[in-house]
Amino acid sequence: MPVTKVLTAGIGEANLRDINVYRERGGYKQWERAVREMTPAAVMEACDKSGLRGRGGAGFPTGRKWQFLPNNGKPRYMVCNCDEAEPGTFKDHMLLEETPHLVLEGILIGAYGIGCNHAFIYIRGEFKEGYEIFMQAVAEARAAGLIGKNLFGTDYSVEVTVHRGAGAYICGEETGLLNSLEGKRGEPRLKPPFPAVAGLYGMPTVVNNVETLAYLVPILERGWEWFAAAGTERSKGYKIVSVAGHVQKPGNYEVPVGTPVRELIEIAGGLFPGRKFMAVQPGGQSSACIFEEHLDYPYDYESMAKAGSMMGSGAFTVFDDTTDWVKAARNSIRFYAHESCGQCTPCREGGHWLERVLDRFVEGRGLRGDLDMIRRVSTTITGLNLCALGDSIEPFLMSVFNRFPETFESRLLPEENLVKA
Amino acid sequence: MHDSTNPPMGTGDGLKLASQNLASGAEPHLDHDGTRRQNGTVFSDLYERLRPECEALIAQYPEKRSALLPMMHLFQEHEGYVSQNAMRAAAEMLELSPAVVESTVSFYTLFFRKPVGKYMLQVCRGLMCEVRGAGDIMAYFREKLGIGHLETTDDGLFSYEEVECLAACDRATCMQVNLEFVYDLTPQMIDDMIAAMRAGTYKTKPLVQTAKPERTWKVKQDAQVGTGRKSPGTLNSSEPNNAGGIGDPSGIIMLDRFVTRDVSFTGRTQERTVRDARGVYDVIEEEEGKNGNAGH
Repeated sequence: MPVTKVLTAGIGEANLRDINVYRERGGYKQWERAVREMTPAAVMEACDKSGLRGRGGAGFPTGRKWQFLPNNGKPRYMVCNCDEAEPGTFKDHMLLEETPHLVLEGILIGAYGIGCNHAFIYIRGEFKEGYEIFMQAVAEARAAGLIGKNLFGTDYSVEVTVHRGAGAYICGEETGLLNSLEGKRGEPRLKPPFPAVAGLYGMPTVVNNVETLAYLVPILERGWEWFAAAGTERSKGYKIVSVAGHVQKPGNYEVPVGTPVRELIEIAGGLFPGRKFMAVQPGGQSSACIFEEHLDYPYDYESMAKAGSMMGSGAFTVFDDTTDWVKAARNSIRFYAHESCGQCTPCREGGHWLERVLDRFVEGRGLRGDLDMIRRVSTTITGLNLCALGDSIEPFLMSVFNRFPETFESRLLPEENLVKA
Repeated sequence: MHDSTNPPMGTGDGLKLASQNLASGAEPHLDHDGTRRQNGTVFSDLYERLRPECEALIAQYPEKRSALLPMMHLFQEHEGYVSQNAMRAAAEMLELSPAVVESTVSFYTLFFRKPVGKYMLQVCRGLMCEVRGAGDIMAYFREKLGIGHLETTDDGLFSYEEVECLAACDRATCMQVNLEFVYDLTPQMIDDMIAAMRAGTYKTKPLVQTAKPERTWKVKQDAQVGTGRKSPGTLNSSEPNNAGGIGDPSGIIMLDRFVTRDVSFTGRTQERTVRDARGVYDVIEEEEGKNGNAGH
């Protein structure tokens, strides 16, 4: 079994919320080493060479994201995105609550790597427990002299601010998050300019996911060569995969990127006895389903794209033959209709249209014209929005709609079938 | 023009009124958000008490306005909801207009702008929970409490909401009680939980309740304070017959796309509830006629 515990090491065995336990296990050593012995450029180089890609969903190479920051003398900000709300993803929730100091150390190293003196973490409003745990961790680290002015006798200073959201999926989008952090409505901004040029308060900003930043700690500890040795050629390293849905042992499993889809299902205990595999949604609610023919694909960014889906945030949801696809599609669409910020008309209106049409299907009152309408509205929404939320409405719906058309047709009004005949 | 539930926020008046009241201390008419306080406290006392904490929050950020969300969390913790007074106080401290504050607060679902029950029960309705039986759990809650989505029981003890994925899909079906997680729900657990809450022995602390909750804490668009102009797309979109701004002029832009792009629109229009956008539908029906799809 390829489960490799890197970030998840010690979770469930030791109380990693306690700074002393964390330090006994080698915690904050890399932070101290980075500040004492490494230049920010060396940290950035290690990050770049490791091939680490953003673990929040888009999979953008982290090192390159950092290099986009202009050298214009303006203050820079590091923002850690812990607004984990992609349905099916629950890895950041676990990291935040179970190993807050690792998350904090990652944020600090990232802040040092880009040469910033003020880092932020945006925690989802619902994670009140996680927020309290993390606040405690920051207080402990501050008391231990790991955050503050002139750290370890150098002239480097860093401050960490913990910010809690208040319930909005869209704040997981990086520019929406920045607006929310500025005390505004969490509506995404027009890009460009990208946050690297004009982000938080108009200053150069890097927004990285919790898991991305946490991986900086083992990368510094074991060297970028170690990280780059795992995974596939273009998707390197390890990934926490949140396996849920119709499996016997759902949970977070840390595996090398590129572990076959079939194996991931087995790691999570396999299907329930007597059930038949139908589909996997490999990258959260925003991704299209993949099916039986993709079971042997490696789970990495490229292969998932080849299968017509994406690896996304690593939410890996398994569906068996008890799934009602019409209901599942409605659930997914309702989510986007509810969470659309309302800035862009196609997303705001389109989501609600689809929701209402699918409501009819759930009740068995679908109209034949609706089948066409679903297709048309879906394609119309896509590609016309400021952020990715609008484009995320369609993939899951269309993948199951195209794969299981008979399920949708079976929910038409009886007289609609007469029309066909 | 302004009744007791609609204080004149968003006007220069309101701001001046607020600052005078807040500065002069215990002015009784400060609590003009129409809710009678049960414990007889006055908002200005709370404001004075929380002021240092608010200032500490403001000091954390390079720009003042960033402290808005944390401040609203703080006031909600003490009042049980985000009152008009709290928004006014924040506006004053952050040098924003009260309308800006309210428009921001209203964006976030975890801020309740009306009083809620002592136990906020938020059950996950995400797809991963649904495939593991959240539908039955939600039905059980509704039946057991006798209330629906976004509603509060008459005794003011329970508020119930069905929320989006709570990021605990490995322990589905899950919920939060006053934002504390409860995992792997079963009907038995729900029975025990509700009994313990009624008896006052439940492990999670109840929310502060400074005013009696109404049936729902959702603020209708019409009741929102402002200049009276609705911004596009903010119609109360959860009602099935008025979904997402059909009848809202901005929706026409999307409809227009179907027309100008020469995309035939074969859905049957009579099924949809159309109020004001009749003209647009006429155009579409005409298009349908042209494309020969109307008679299907």
